Amino acid sequence: MASPATSQSKTAVGAVISVVVGILVVAAVGTTLHAHSNLDAPAGYAKVNGTIVAPDGKTYPHAFINDNVFADAADSKIHGSSGGHAGWPSYGPYINLVLPAHTYVTMTMHVYDGGEKMNTPYFASVVGTVGGTINIDGKNVSSLPNDGVQHTFTLHGLPTSSQDPLFVNVPLPKTPEGQQDEPGSPLPKGYTVTFSFITGGKGNYVWNCEYPCGDSTYQNFGAVMGAPGYMNGKVTVI
Amino acid sequence: MEHQDDEDLKPTPGERVKQVLKEKDVRQVLFFFVLFTALFSILGLWAYPRWMPNIMSKEMRGDESIMIWFTVISAPIAGIVLAFAMRSFIDIQRGDTPPEDGPAISGHTPTVVIWTAVSFLFCTVAIVWGMTEMNTWSQDAIAKESNAMVVNVTGAQWSWSFNYPAQGITTHELNLPVKQPITFNVISDDVNHSFWPVELGVKVDANRLATTVVHVTPDKIGAFEVKCAELCGIYHAYMETNGQVESRADFDNWVSTVKAQGGAQ
Repeated sequence: MASPATSQSKTAVGAVISVVVGILVVAAVGTTLHAHSNLDAPAGYAKVNGTIVAPDGKTYPHAFINDNVFADAADSKIHGSSGGHAGWPSYGPYINLVLPAHTYVTMTMHVYDGGEKMNTPYFASVVGTVGGTINIDGKNVSSLPNDGVQHTFTLHGLPTSSQDPLFVNVPLPKTPEGQQDEPGSPLPKGYTVTFSFITGGKGNYVWNCEYPCGDSTYQNFGAVMGAPGYMNGKVTVI
Repeated sequence: MEHQDDEDLKPTPGERVKQVLKEKDVRQVLFFFVLFTALFSILGLWAYPRWMPNIMSKEMRGDESIMIWFTVISAPIAGIVLAFAMRSFIDIQRGDTPPEDGPAISGHTPTVVIWTAVSFLFCTVAIVWGMTEMNTWSQDAIAKESNAMVVNVTGAQWSWSFNYPAQGITTHELNLPVKQPITFNVISDDVNHSFWPVELGVKVDANRLATTVVHVTPDKIGAFEVKCAELCGIYHAYMETNGQVESRADFDNWVSTVKAQGGAQ
């Protein structure tokens, strides 16, 4: 029969082992989920090239950055050759963006996906860009029809006193039927969308798509819309 | 005669209390009871008013009052529970053979009556206070309804949008004129959210296909935060935006600016 001291030692060792195993399991799950989240995917850096006088009369450094929206995630090049999930759309090659502070940023996006109807008409309006417009293949617009959107680039952050507010909403026009990105096919013509916005001070922000491009769950906000790294990402102003 | 002697020797209630108070266990429990009751009372009366956000409406003032006084009312209950817990912790028995339980006191009628009456009193105060506060808000909202400004609030993963039908604008920030009764019609376009303009003392669910109506009258100029209080997806934490209570003139100027930008900001 074990002495009381031996029994207490066994209990203590068992408790410590249980706690350590619990910590390891939680850490393993967290690390695995994080590794598959693409939250640390290579970021696209906006490059400054000259200066520009904005409508507010101030002169800003002028930075440029390009990105795309594909109907087939495989074309984005950030989810492996399979695209991660067949049939999911994705931004790419960048989901994480790094922008210089206090800079006039011009972003050019090539977009190749179709669309249906927005859940929230507000996000079909252009908000927060220079002049309140975006340029689609040479034509300036301030909003799109509620059923003319394929995705949105909606950039926002926390309303804290530690960083400047930054809210940009850009609806991206849907490509016509038969002219969309298809798996295994060359990229179609798509649209080229250009817009500019002015960054404030340093800060951490996020962007996400407000077009309901997920599966049928959660009013089409399930699947790709709930997965990190396809229709959302981080924006860091440095 | 012997029986009469026993009667004479029986301690009076005062002597019994003194006798009980001499017990070390009892004195420790009383000490912790007073300590924890005082700590929780200080938490409610001193800390909460300093920790609570800026109060910008009568509704928020009511919320704070409830928080403070419910904490004070609950302090003795938390105090007695923690006092026994601390006493047990101090006297913790180690080893495989715990001591036997003490005699049950469940049949002690005065204790049962007092405990039940006190619990009933606390619950009644909480219920009546809460219902009175809610009724006050409802009556106030009904009285001001005809004069209220309507704001249609839409939650969508992971942003808020605010439509002002009378002004003909839609924005992602919530600006309100001071001392103007407001009616919020709150709805979600996807999953469930919770509309929470913190400093205004309003928090209601934003549901798909069902509009929730809530009223508030901001009475102080300043900035406030609008948050989502319902876990709604990976960027739930970022579903926040700025709010501003401002003078009527400043509000009208802001509306004009948004209209000049096409009606959306």
